[in-house]
Amino acid sequence: MSLRVGELGFLKELAGRFQIPAPEFVVEPVAQSIVKDRLEKWGSGIIKPDVLTGKRGKAGVIRTVTDYREAVRMLKQVAATEVSGQQPRTAYMVQAVPADMEVFSAITYSSRTLGPTMTISLQGGMDIESVGEAGKVSIPVGIFRGLNAYEASEALSHLGMEGQLNAKLARALVGQWDMFSSTGMLSCEINPWRVTHDGGVYACDFKATFDGNNRKSHDLGIRWPEYPTNETSFEEEMKAWATSSYQGQAHVSDLGGKKILPILFGGGASTIIIETLNQLGGDPIFLSDFGGNPPYDRMKQTAAICFKHHLARASLLLILGGKANNTRIDVTFAAIGDALQEWVDENGPLQIPVVVGRGGPGLVQGFGHLKKTLDNLGMPYVFFGPDSPITMVAAYAAELASLVADIESPEEQENVAS
Amino acid sequence: MKAQSLEGLLKDGDRVAVSNITGREASNVSYISQVYCNNIVAGWSLGKAGRTINVPGGRDIPVFGQFDQLMTQLPDDRKPNKVVVYSPPEAVYGDVKEAIEHGKGYIDTIYVITENVSVEVTAKLRRLCDLDDFDIVGCNTLGVINAHDGVRIGAVGGDSPAESFAPGSACVISNSGNMVNTIASYLQSAGLGISYGIATGKDPLILTPLKELLPLAERDPRTRLVVLYVEPGGMYESDALEIARQSGFTKPILVFVAGSFAEGLEISLGHAGAVANGGCTSASAKMKLFDDYFGLEVFDPLKQKETAERLAETRKGLRVNTLHDLVPAAATLISAMEWESDMTPKSPLVLRPWLGNLGWLSGKAPAHLVPHIDTIPEPYGSLVKKYIHSGLGRTTSRQPMRNASHASSNDGVTPRIWGYSTLKLMESRSFVESVLLYWLGKPVDNPFESRLVEMCLIASLTNGPGTISAQGAKLAASAGNEPNTALMATLGAIGAVHGGNGKKSAKLLIDIFANSGLTDPYNRDHGIDLDELAVGFVSKFKKSKSAAKEAGVDYRKVPCLGHPIFNKDTVNYDPRERVINNYMEDKGLYNIFFDFYHRLAQELFNQQATNKVHAVNVDAAIACVLMGIAWPRLVDKQITVERALDLPFLIFALGRVAGGAGEYLDHREYGTDMDMRVPVSECRTLGRAKD
Repeated sequence: MSLRVGELGFLKELAGRFQIPAPEFVVEPVAQSIVKDRLEKWGSGIIKPDVLTGKRGKAGVIRTVTDYREAVRMLKQVAATEVSGQQPRTAYMVQAVPADMEVFSAITYSSRTLGPTMTISLQGGMDIESVGEAGKVSIPVGIFRGLNAYEASEALSHLGMEGQLNAKLARALVGQWDMFSSTGMLSCEINPWRVTHDGGVYACDFKATFDGNNRKSHDLGIRWPEYPTNETSFEEEMKAWATSSYQGQAHVSDLGGKKILPILFGGGASTIIIETLNQLGGDPIFLSDFGGNPPYDRMKQTAAICFKHHLARASLLLILGGKANNTRIDVTFAAIGDALQEWVDENGPLQIPVVVGRGGPGLVQGFGHLKKTLDNLGMPYVFFGPDSPITMVAAYAAELASLVADIESPEEQENVAS
Repeated sequence: MKAQSLEGLLKDGDRVAVSNITGREASNVSYISQVYCNNIVAGWSLGKAGRTINVPGGRDIPVFGQFDQLMTQLPDDRKPNKVVVYSPPEAVYGDVKEAIEHGKGYIDTIYVITENVSVEVTAKLRRLCDLDDFDIVGCNTLGVINAHDGVRIGAVGGDSPAESFAPGSACVISNSGNMVNTIASYLQSAGLGISYGIATGKDPLILTPLKELLPLAERDPRTRLVVLYVEPGGMYESDALEIARQSGFTKPILVFVAGSFAEGLEISLGHAGAVANGGCTSASAKMKLFDDYFGLEVFDPLKQKETAERLAETRKGLRVNTLHDLVPAAATLISAMEWESDMTPKSPLVLRPWLGNLGWLSGKAPAHLVPHIDTIPEPYGSLVKKYIHSGLGRTTSRQPMRNASHASSNDGVTPRIWGYSTLKLMESRSFVESVLLYWLGKPVDNPFESRLVEMCLIASLTNGPGTISAQGAKLAASAGNEPNTALMATLGAIGAVHGGNGKKSAKLLIDIFANSGLTDPYNRDHGIDLDELAVGFVSKFKKSKSAAKEAGVDYRKVPCLGHPIFNKDTVNYDPRERVINNYMEDKGLYNIFFDFYHRLAQELFNQQATNKVHAVNVDAAIACVLMGIAWPRLVDKQITVERALDLPFLIFALGRVAGGAGEYLDHREYGTDMDMRVPVSECRTLGRAKD
């Protein structure tokens, strides 16, 4: 699990710890007298929402203020304004830094160098993708040695920045690297660094992602705030369930589809199955990957969560994966069958077809268990073994789901069934 | 890379050492690998030194405590040149460091199978290996297979690597291990086998990137083409194609790029590495990269001829839109390149349903959607017949049961048996009914069934003090033991010979009636010709009996016929069996198994296999009663055949252990200490003194 942090988290928890120069700030709720005091000192402030959005979605709601009354009003207004569909956690006012120059810097791991890389541009304040190759420089950073001021200075010189400012900014970039490597980050972007006419350097916007697999990110002693997310209740519940144990994967992403409820196994397999369903009108409800040899209890609860959220409105249940290397099919299919039986016990009969395709250890016993459950429940089914290509099974499921969806009246189904 | 060709990654003769080899996944996979190719020389696992992983049919694998011990203690010609790391994420860095430190001069490649290794550690591993000239594959790789040499590292190919990886000319490279297997299987339908299957790993940093693998494939004489499975994320393909262009890569590539559906959605795909982040990293950008490199549009199965003509000029490869299009695309490529196939193409890729019942949909679905079950390939066909289509009994799935039970539960208030409150059972059910519920999972269907079982229990209580089970209880009493010891002694003195005949009898009944179509054993109108069954059985029995006699070996007897006392008449009966039979007759009840057993005894006499009509003894009666109860549950696949077979013996044991208690109480109160002892004077010496 990767944790994202925005500017406010950086200002409160990281800038001071790593001695990265940053502007002063106050966070809503804040007393009017403090706002007044800060604005008298700063001259003007910028009000921003504390929200984690991709790209530059915040730009539309950011306000520059000089009057403390307006600032107080704006803090409340910005805190209540959705940004790209997300509700901000709060709003904050940050000291406005008048700048002669804006600089971009980011550190991330590069698939090209297979190590960390720092990218610097003197055209800060804009998306780095829109900056031409000549306007930016990327330098690989030694994973053991780290970034030293000389390397940072060289990179800045390459972009045409010399003198005192070069030295000052190079030191700031080393601070950014120290923060990156000491906290187990995956990526970290400061955009922009604002450089004042008297040579002051301030980190004026920030975003970073921590590597959930890196112990350092857990050992910071920081309790990061929880941001309202766009996750659906299904994704949220599955995420909580996934983190409760390392045994087996339980990864889902809602796709907004309406036809096929896919219980899929294997990262690669799930991707190509969803790809096929999507192309052929299967309209999958979500993307899932439940491989990794989950034990019975794990798989049963995982399936139960899927059924609870989506089974009632699905046109077809698809249980599909390639030929498993380790995942026991008898265990996982018994668990899915039992979860399905319990769902029906609780919610009443279900008549949607079930399409199954799988290979791996304990396959036939797993098929036997699931078939028995489906026979008991009176649900239509088709089982395919590992000699049927999974993408063809997905294509078959897409067509069958469309047929079921086209049969509009549930009463009609009942009549046919009886 | 240190490897100069794909063979450098893995070849016959390579010697593999496995870290954390006693862990669950490592030991399972290593066992299968060893049976397949015998290339693991040793493993190491902290605190497990001195153990051995036994591999019947392969070479046993010695386990060392640490890697340096492994390197010191193995002779030079057994020292590993490949290391596979299965350690937990926190231990991976240390294991790789140790492999580098102590393996210098021997080890050339390190495979990291472990998932959830941090990106920082992953980058450090690559740097460490670069500094000391080691190759590293991973992290989170499934491994590599060399199909020509029949060797693998990791779990590529699952339990039966040879099934998907026939030797051939396609090198499959994929971050997903499962896709390596799937693509290898698909290509067989196009007549293409595999040179190498390489799972590069599913993490954000792929330490053996495509740009380093393509030159190895170029130099590999057995590889004619490269087949790629590609997901969003990373610049791997962009870098590789740049190098391919610069270096004049000559081998054609077939590629499937997945993940375009995720574009515009803020979701990550199943693999950690598959997170698009702009540039040439999205699925659509990667598709364009390949299309540009190939100079061809995506493959259209309906335009194979035109594509083959163009491909004969470009000779660079093709991209497919769905994975199963790899097969016609590969066939098109083979034709364009004027190659011979690696093998006769296996059956074409089509849907082959194994089980199907569209129920209410059957009438509405067009013909091509209605499943037509054809022959299921072996070994699955036999397994399906055995586990799914065989008329009787359910199959179960296995799981750790240490703290789990279907049979009982206790929510802190009410102990339950299969969901039924023991308190309510106490109020309204008998002991026998409750025991049958516990053993069968559902209450018995008919009240007379528990009465019959009660009779069986009474019959099992005793057959006099001379039976060896009674003797067990008496011995315990004589030695001054507590009651529990006497009960154990009673149970310890019953077994396959004493009391076990009921199971053999149940087996006989199941074998005979399994395919008879019998559903209700209590229905006289069963429509089964029992005499015909008996005649057939006895004829076969006589043949096997005379064959065994001729060979001078013991023949298998018909279980539960005959009695040592009740054997004097032409037609004999066991009085205990009579009580049960009379009860049923009085109540107007019928049990097909009783009926059959009596006809069988008669038929054995009719065909002169016996010189009198033997008694259907009480063990047979118990088996018939219990099979009557079990049969509908077997037909309905509620219980396993194994459970049904155990029922007669369990009833006998339950009755006899109560009888043993009676013997114990009697003997303890009236017997003298050590009175069961056989005096030395009565003991016979069958050997002679040897000193």
